Order: sequence, then structure tokens, then C-alpha cells
Amino acid sequence: MRKHLFSLLSIMVLISLVLGACAPKPTPVPTKAPTATPVPTKAPTATPVPTKGPPDLAGETITIYHFGDLSGPYAAITAPLIHGAEDAVAAVNAAGGLYGATLAVKFADTGGSIDEAVAAYDRFTGEDKNPLVMITYGSGEVEALAQRFAEDKIVNITAGLSGRGFYIDSGYTFGLGPIYPDQLGFVMAFLKENWDTYKPAGGGDEIKLAYLSWPTAFGQGALKDESRAYLEELGIEIVAEEVYDLSPAADTTTAILNAQAAGANVIWTNTLAFGPAAILNDLNALGLRDQFVVAADNWAMDLATYAFLAEPAYGVGLIAPFPYLWWTDTDNPGIQYAQELFEANERDMAEHNVGYLLLIAGVDLAVDAITLAIDTVGYENLTGEAVHDALIALGPHKALDGVLRVDYSGDNRSPHMSQIRMIQGGPDAFVVIQDWAEMPDLRPTE
Amino acid sequence: MAILRPAGQFDTSYARDMATIRGPWQWWLLCAFVLALYTLPFYASQSLVSLVNRIGITIIAVQGLNLLTGYTGQISLGQAAFMTTGGYISALLVNNLGWSFFAALPVAALGAGIVGLIFGLPSLRVKGFYVVMATLAAQFIIPWFTRNAFPEVLSGAQGLNVQVPVLFGLEFNSPQRYIYITLTVLILTTIMAHNVSRSRLGRAFVAIRDSDLAAEVLGVNLFKYKLQAFFLAAVYAGAAGALAAHNIRHLNSETFNLIDSVFYLGMLVVGGLGSNLGPIFGAIVVGLLIEVATLFGPFFISLFPSTAAGAVQALRPLFFGIALTLFLIFEPRGLAHRWYLLKAAWRLRPFSH
Repeated sequence: MRKHLFSLLSIMVLISLVLGACAPKPTPVPTKAPTATPVPTKAPTATPVPTKGPPDLAGETITIYHFGDLSGPYAAITAPLIHGAEDAVAAVNAAGGLYGATLAVKFADTGGSIDEAVAAYDRFTGEDKNPLVMITYGSGEVEALAQRFAEDKIVNITAGLSGRGFYIDSGYTFGLGPIYPDQLGFVMAFLKENWDTYKPAGGGDEIKLAYLSWPTAFGQGALKDESRAYLEELGIEIVAEEVYDLSPAADTTTAILNAQAAGANVIWTNTLAFGPAAILNDLNALGLRDQFVVAADNWAMDLATYAFLAEPAYGVGLIAPFPYLWWTDTDNPGIQYAQELFEANERDMAEHNVGYLLLIAGVDLAVDAITLAIDTVGYENLTGEAVHDALIALGPHKALDGVLRVDYSGDNRSPHMSQIRMIQGGPDAFVVIQDWAEMPDLRPTE
Repeated sequence: MAILRPAGQFDTSYARDMATIRGPWQWWLLCAFVLALYTLPFYASQSLVSLVNRIGITIIAVQGLNLLTGYTGQISLGQAAFMTTGGYISALLVNNLGWSFFAALPVAALGAGIVGLIFGLPSLRVKGFYVVMATLAAQFIIPWFTRNAFPEVLSGAQGLNVQVPVLFGLEFNSPQRYIYITLTVLILTTIMAHNVSRSRLGRAFVAIRDSDLAAEVLGVNLFKYKLQAFFLAAVYAGAAGALAAHNIRHLNSETFNLIDSVFYLGMLVVGGLGSNLGPIFGAIVVGLLIEVATLFGPFFISLFPSTAAGAVQALRPLFFGIALTLFLIFEPRGLAHRWYLLKAAWRLRPFSH
């Protein structure tokens, strides 16, 4: 019996491993080289003018910690973040550091697991008795760690835009983008306003929304009580709520057909990379693409999505809030600076995505806040709390020359300004259809 | 496995024959080991304490699986689902009803045990792979339930923020504090598992594992004992899930998933099925392998920036798979068996061959 038991066990475990290994992996995005011409390097932005002479911090080291999914489901978008952070920090140091102090960056892989994220947090807080800033990426980990960040007074700058992580038992978590309920409300209000322009053929006069997403904290992050109430206020009916697997091989056919049967004409998906790609692929396969407006959160509009599209043309028409600039906005000095870093470090074109760009901007934001904190309290009193206060004191702020626009003043912990863009053409053709505008404030109350 | 002793050493009473700790030096060694564990926060880094904490919780879950799979021969792929059950019960009792974590923990364990009973029911009628399928169903049904049922209570896919345990005003909000809870529960579960394995219950489990037909002929009530094994396994999983949820401070349907269940089985193979040391060895070795893979990822990427980003995704399953394959080929009875051999060789020296 034991012999059989071993055989059974070994076969089962090996089958599991083989199945896991056989899962489709993202292929590099065949993007064309950006057309931007490199311009001279600029120093990191917006160093506030100190009241007395700038301190000399030569010999000191200031570390920024970040942890994210490098080996799990979100790896497609997370991996370039490492190089973005490394390149940004190296550029700051090459430009003289932070008042002479060397900026360092440390990364930990969480594999998309909250347990591992907590472990990484414990590791970093154990290593450093005075950690100032940590950068994180997942909604689940933001929620799990929000209370810890507040207790330990460590600033968390995050791309995990779950509203609860920012506004419930929190205070030290700052978003690199608007929270997902705000994003949903913003795009739906825009569509409501411009329905005649964007409505699909035979779409009717009323917007009927189908929410098709992953069954995760991120996937379900947009549809909250506040956003539901807001949609109701707009007169938008949610006719279908469907989930599909967090997997590159997910089949969304049933979810789409259910949405169609319910009379939906707009699909919102709070996913990224293979998430929106699955819907767009299946919509095209079903021949239903022209019956729906497909909209998504900001992370969906990225080159990582193209890696999973059956045809690049399937991405056309995707609408998403866009709370930062893009690589094609080459007239912006911040974009030029990021492009120069990207080329100087000979990064792979597959990394020319939102992760790399946003980390350049995120590090710039952290540097601005730390600089202001040093100016305010002095280096010897520099703590996470001082950086927290500095982020708030920055007020309406354009990180990396406006690549990222934030305003953490008052109780705000996430930006409330964004563009809306639409894919029109091949990869990178993220065209502005709504310029920077104020978003609805749908933060959670309880 | 029979205990090998040098010639001339005899037990002179039944109590001595049954003793687990057989000499004063073993007592001293055990006390020193426990003391070293409890004082870990005073001399070890926070990351090490955190790691020990997580491995401790994993050991509890694997101990439960060992009772079911190692001793009773019922392979389960649902251990992580029962952890989810325990985690949710404890979180709800503490968050919504204001219970103390220390009261909620045993209730969560029992609650998970009852759910385990339900999924153990098919085990009387089916064997082998079919039992696996029944437990696999738990791994799909329970997360689905937590995601879709009672969203106003369970918060759907978003999950729950879980409060930290508080005892007499002391918040267990850091690894250095939480480890005391983990270690205490771990010691209790280890004693319990050890006693189960050498009681009538444990012998019935082993009889069912070795030949359920023979066991039934000898009067072992298969239905009763199989269900008891499922119950115990789920109780352990429930306790581990509650501990993990309050340690992480967050819980959703994905916190404990199918991959975790597969890893727990692998830990059992590496450590040794049907041995009380097996879960401890297996959880430590595999836990450390996972930790190494996690730490190695960013380093690997910095070494090979253009190629490593995709490869890193494979590191964890790769390390695990290689370790598992090597153990299956070279030491299918696991590290615990190797440990027993080492001990026997030491005791019988210089005639260890």
C-alpha cells in the first residue's frame, strides 16, 4: 500500500509541476523602437530650495525598498520595475546623489503572494531600523500591509490601487495612480457624456455595463459600494458581473456570452496583461468585438497586454484612464529623460512599458519627498513620518516633469487627475480622448 | 521503526517502554532547544524570526496532512482549503463578534475539522485518485464560497483585513511577538500528533493505510477512522490557517491555494510520510528552498538581465521539483528515515554496520 501511495503521490506532484511549467509564458512584445530623439540628461526634478545652505550628506546612504511579483501571475508587468528603479537610482547618484548621499534600492520578490510580501516587509524592516520609503505593486499586499506601514510610520508608494488599502486603517500608503473605483467612475462618466461618439453599433441609448474581471482583490477592486452608487447616479446599469481565471490561458467566452445575453454594451475589466487580452481575443474570436465598448483600469493599457493578444489589432478600441504620460509624449522632458535612461542602459524593448516608466517617476517622487523632508527636519531627524509629511506638503505635484501628477494634500492618498486614452493603431498608439480632468472621488468610507 | 539500542539497555517498566524522552540528557537537550526557539527574537534577525514563524505555521498544516496521508494513506489536495476555512472562521469571530483570538483559534480549528469531515465522507466509497478528486473539490468549492457567498460578511474577492491577536493589552503585531503564539501552538500540535500516532487511533490509521481490507477484517471501523483522520487533518489545517491569517492580517480566497496544497504534499514526501519528524523536516527544507529561490530571483535578474526575467518564474517550482525528484529516487522514505538511520548508527557505534 505504501508503495502505491508513493507512486500516486509522486505522479500527482510531478503532473502538477509539469502542468505549471506548460502554462503559456509571455513572449516579448515586438514593438518598434520609439522615435524619440535623445536629449541631454536632466537632473532629477523639483529639489525644493533649502532655507539655509544644502547639507552635505556625502558618505550617507538612503535606501528605497520595493517588493513585487517577479515569479507569479503579475510578473509580466512587474519585472521591468526592477530595472526602472535601478536605472532611476543610478541616474540620481550619477547626478550627485541626494545632497551627496548615495541612493540605494533593494528589491524582493513576492511571487504574487501576500505571505511573501509580509515576509519581505519583515526582512526589510529588520535590516533597516529607519526605513523611509517602500514601493509596492499589488492590491492584496497593499491591504495586508497598510496597517503595518501606518504603525511603523513607513511611507508606502504603491501601484496597487485598492481603495481600502489607502483609506481604511491606513494613512501612510500613497498611490501612484487613482484608486480603481475612481477610475471606473471616471471612464463611465466620460462614456455617458460621449455615448453617441463611442457607442457600439446597435448599442442602444443606455449604457449597460458588464464587469468581467479576475476573482482577486485587484480584479474586484473597482466595483465597490461607492462606485456602484455613482454608476446608479449616472443612470448606468450593471447588468452582469462575471469572473474568469487569473491565468494566461483563461477562457472568457462564457463570461462574454453571459454579458451579451444580459444586454451589456460596455465591458469593464480590472485586470492587466493577459487579463484584458483574454477578453479582447475571445471577443474577436466570437465575432462580437463591435458589440461592446471595452474599458479597463490603467494597467491594462500597456505593452504587456500586447504580449498576450492573438493579433495586435485586437487591442484597438480599448479605453482606459491614463494618469501619467506615455513614452510617445516625446515633447515632455520627463519622458525624454526616461527614454534616455532606457537607451543608455540598453534595456530590452519588452521592458519599454508602464512598469519601467512609472518606477522612474516613482523614484523621482520619492526623491522629491525625501529632499523636502531633509530640508524641513534635517537629515538627522529624517524618518518615514517626515517623508510622509513631505509628500503631503508637496501638494499638487508633477513628478518627473509631469509624467506623473499627484496631490496628497489633506486626506488624499491617491491622485484625482487623469487622462483617458484609447488604443488607435498598433502598440504604443495610446491616443488621448480626454485630457487631464478631475476624477470622481469614490474613496471607501467604511 | 523499531528503536535500535546497544546491547544491554533494557526497559524495566511499561511507562519507561512508552517514554518518548528516555534520558536526562534528552530532557536537557529538548529544554535547551525549546528555550533557544523561544528566545529567538532576542538574538536572531527579524527576517529569520519571520521565516521561523512562517515555517512553524506550515509545519502545523503539514502535521495534519501527515495524519491523513502519512498515517492513514488518504491523499489530500485540500489542506490549503481547510486552512482558508479556519482563517475565515477566526477572522470573523475576532473582527465581527469581538472574540479574543485565543478563543477563536480552537473554534476555528474545530470548524475547519467539521468542514473536513464533510469532504472526507466520500473516502469510504472511493480510494486513491478518487479520494484526491474529492479533496480537490474542497480546494475549489471553499474558495468559491468565500468569494461569492455572503459578500457583506466575507467581503468577496477583496477578502478581510484581519486583526492582530491581543492578550492583556499586548498586541502580537510583529514577528518577534507572534512567534510565541506560533511556537506554543506548534508544541501542542506536535505533542498531539505524537500521541495520536502511538495510540489506538494511530494504529488504526496505520492499519487502514497498509491494508484497509485486512484492517476491516480485524475489526477496524473504516468509516469512523477515515473520518477521524479527515477531521484531525482539517483541525490542524484550521489552526494553521487561523494563525497565518492573523499573522498576515489579511485573508482572501487566494491566500491559501492549490499550489500550497501541492507543496504541503511535497513537504511530506521530502520529510517522510508516516513519521512525526517528517512534517518538521519537510517544512523546514522546502521552506528554506522556497526562501532561497525567492532571494535568488532578483540576484539572477541582475546577473542575466535580458534572459532571467522569465526564467525566475520557474525557480520556485524548479527547486521544489528537483528536491522532490531527488528524494523520490534516493530517499523515498524521506529525511525522517535518514535521521532514524543516523541515530541508530550512532547508538550502535562502533558496530553500526
